[in-house]
Amino acid sequence: MKGFEYVSAKDARHAIALLAEYGPKAKILAGGTDLLVELKSVPEAPPAVIDITRAEDMKGIKVTDRGLVIGALATHSEIMSSPEIRERYPALVDAAHSIGAIQTRSLGTLGGNLVTAVPSLDSGPVLVALEALVTIAGPAGSREIPLAEFFVGPRRNALKAGELLVDIVIPRKNLGKPAGFQKFGLRKGQALALVNTGASFWLDPVKKVFVEPCIALGAVAPVVIRAPKAEAYLAGKKVTPEAMAEAGRIAAGEAKPISDHRASADYRRDLIAVLTRRSLEGALAVAERNQMESGK
Amino acid sequence: MTDVVLRVNGKERKASVPPETTLLQLLREHLGLTGSKLGCDVGDCGACTVIVDGLAVNACLMLAGQVEGREVLTIEGLATRDRLHPIQRAFEERAALQCGFCGPGSIMSAKALLDENLDPTVLEIRDALSGNLCRCTGYTKMIDAIQDAARELREEKAALAVR
Amino acid sequence: MPDTFETKKQEKTVVRDAPREAGVDLRLPAVVPTAPYPIETLVPHVNQQTPAVGQRVTRTDGRLHGLGQTKYIDDMSFPGMLHAKIKRAGIASGRIVRIDSSAAEAMPGVMAVVTGRDIPVNSFGPSLQDQPVLAGERVYHAGDGVVAVAALTEQIALDALDKIKVEYELLPAVLDPLEAIKDDSPKVHDTDTNVYAKKTIKKGDVEKAFAEADHIFENRFSTQMVEHVSLEPHAAIADWDANGRVTVWCTIGRITLARGDMSRTLKIPMHRVRMIGTIVGGNFGGKNEITQEPVLALLSKKTGRPVKGVYSRGEEFTSTTTRHPIIMDYKTGVTKEGKIIARKVRLVLDGGAYCSWSETTLGKAAILSAGPYNIENLHVEAYTVYTNKTMTGAMRGFGAPQVCFAYESHMDDIAKALGIDPLEIRLRNAFGEGSPSPTGQVLHSVVVKESLLKAAERFGWKEGRS
Repeated sequence: MKGFEYVSAKDARHAIALLAEYGPKAKILAGGTDLLVELKSVPEAPPAVIDITRAEDMKGIKVTDRGLVIGALATHSEIMSSPEIRERYPALVDAAHSIGAIQTRSLGTLGGNLVTAVPSLDSGPVLVALEALVTIAGPAGSREIPLAEFFVGPRRNALKAGELLVDIVIPRKNLGKPAGFQKFGLRKGQALALVNTGASFWLDPVKKVFVEPCIALGAVAPVVIRAPKAEAYLAGKKVTPEAMAEAGRIAAGEAKPISDHRASADYRRDLIAVLTRRSLEGALAVAERNQMESGK
Repeated sequence: MTDVVLRVNGKERKASVPPETTLLQLLREHLGLTGSKLGCDVGDCGACTVIVDGLAVNACLMLAGQVEGREVLTIEGLATRDRLHPIQRAFEERAALQCGFCGPGSIMSAKALLDENLDPTVLEIRDALSGNLCRCTGYTKMIDAIQDAARELREEKAALAVR
Repeated sequence: MPDTFETKKQEKTVVRDAPREAGVDLRLPAVVPTAPYPIETLVPHVNQQTPAVGQRVTRTDGRLHGLGQTKYIDDMSFPGMLHAKIKRAGIASGRIVRIDSSAAEAMPGVMAVVTGRDIPVNSFGPSLQDQPVLAGERVYHAGDGVVAVAALTEQIALDALDKIKVEYELLPAVLDPLEAIKDDSPKVHDTDTNVYAKKTIKKGDVEKAFAEADHIFENRFSTQMVEHVSLEPHAAIADWDANGRVTVWCTIGRITLARGDMSRTLKIPMHRVRMIGTIVGGNFGGKNEITQEPVLALLSKKTGRPVKGVYSRGEEFTSTTTRHPIIMDYKTGVTKEGKIIARKVRLVLDGGAYCSWSETTLGKAAILSAGPYNIENLHVEAYTVYTNKTMTGAMRGFGAPQVCFAYESHMDDIAKALGIDPLEIRLRNAFGEGSPSPTGQVLHSVVVKESLLKAAERFGWKEGRS
């Protein structure tokens, strides 16, 4: 790697101060699994790499009055083993598990994954389907925006110069909302998603209908997108295999997948239909488990 | 220069290295521990796998500064004067090391797994090895070896408990 | 462990590690010895037969591999050793107009620069000597090396490459082997045709048999380029000494052949070249010829220091040999019972920019292209052609996997069309004891049918299909 200055930030505030000091070209090191790869091939090194791995205030996974708050520095391994997440959102565990391999999951962070804003990022769809918010801190204070708006384009996010992604919040209203995740890659380990999907809905315990269904699709548009038509189709409808399959077909029509060396657009559309249905089935399984447990 | 003090294989080590030095370079070039290999330098092949504070990581994807104050275990830290680590012996006996280049990384992944779980299923072993690419031996023999080692480590643990 | 061996601890060789235990405040050398490991010596009993047969054998080098003690090239270093990096062309075809390395040479830490002009005999290859060590006047594919730098560190060498300016006059490139085989295609080298090797096999009368066949099937199959991806990249260290001898530690699998190529390219007698083949971290045919070794030798000669070169993973893909992509046209005449009576095959091997082991691959692919089947009338035409791509060479099977994919896929198509069980159609055509190969070799110990039947029984072929 070309030479740069290495500075370690104590906490988020310190990191923001360092960002201001070193300017917009300075790089934030969270997990480093993308950053180091990038730094090994850039024509010009950044003036500084700001290591935030010791910023304790950006770690941890806890339930507060804001909802479920996941520190931007929570690693994929930590998400997989967090009891807060395991009991509420098996889909987030699946999504984290589908990223890279153990070595990269031990290092890679949720915040880092979101900041890369690559269209195929695996932590995107479930969080978007759960209407997650992100907290962005900067020299002028902090702001909160929906994760769906955080993704601006391929590899482009809503962070302005000097800002830092601090945490990810699943809002209180969606605490425990059943969700499902599906990914299809060309291999099981270390593969990018051809398509990944997330779905969430509340299951009306009496009428057995979809309440507030949310469907999010990854790797099929410049950013993670919702499938509003499929969601509108499901809302209030009886939960049946046919309805879930139909929602998959509708969702397939809402995406704009590309053809590349990994798969054709047609193949990706077929995948959307199947994976959306399976994500809904996954959410249903969680909903039924929850209702059984609460019935006990 | 970045000054780091860390524990490597149970011993404190100090180094003063350029800030862009990776953990892998720190180990191989500055501390003389060449057991961890450089295969791809982008975190895909797992030949550089080491254990940092109990977690298997790609040493090529960490900067030396990140391991300040941390505990790093490399392949060189498994055996003692008296004996090979059971995973090393099982890999040897099961012929799970052909060209051997992926071996240290695979063994470290296995070590991280067995430290957490002494009775892993085949699926869990496969998951633990999914970040270690091997081009000659293949994974079957490694899985056999890890099962052998797990058995031996369980027996050792049981024997200790009896005492 | 065989019980006729006895394990003895050699206590005398145990190194005391008390100084290390004493902590870091002592004045320890910068590089302390590596971690402890048990030292055991196997002592066979004298005058006793060792029962090799039936014993489980472990690799003799397995223990060192598992301990991380094996020294691959990149694990070795010598006093004063320099690191070399090679600038790659990045264009498929062109003429080198100018190389300006002055800015690189002026960099602190850069010790020497070498271009194609410095190579005494700038060509090598196992069958055709058509490959330059570093590009001369022309570049023939994007992975061609153009300039090499030796520097104090790998990073300085890399930075130096960025400062070297190479000006090219772009020339037309041909990337598709089916284009390259045409008469009016751009020529990769200064030859009349891009076809540089051809094999023909003729047996019986194909056209007559096609006329008699009940069904004729035609299809085209193609395979892609494959890199060996040995986990250890290509690596070597060269040390040119004051006696004019060069010692090379290398990962090459055929060091005698490589010694010949070193002698040729460096224009020094063979006895001045000492090749040391180290433990190789994976070869698969990808390390069967020299790559950067002459360049390292010259850099060592220029600087008077040992020089190490290790390819990046990217260079492994662009600048070392790969498996041939083959375009395979099959035409097969069969009776309604599924007996193959005629087959015509055309193979076009994408040879990339240089021959490497293409001739060997071509021969094997051609001979095996009919499959393990008795076919009375056969006509195989196989070509390898130059394209402006990474050269293709030896890789496990030398062309056999590609044609196997084609003839077995073809067989399945035929079976399906005729409504015959895929296993059955193979049994009807397969080689038996004494069958002649396509080139007339009488085959012995042939167990194709037996193997198929046993396999089918083991994995439940019949059950799976019902």
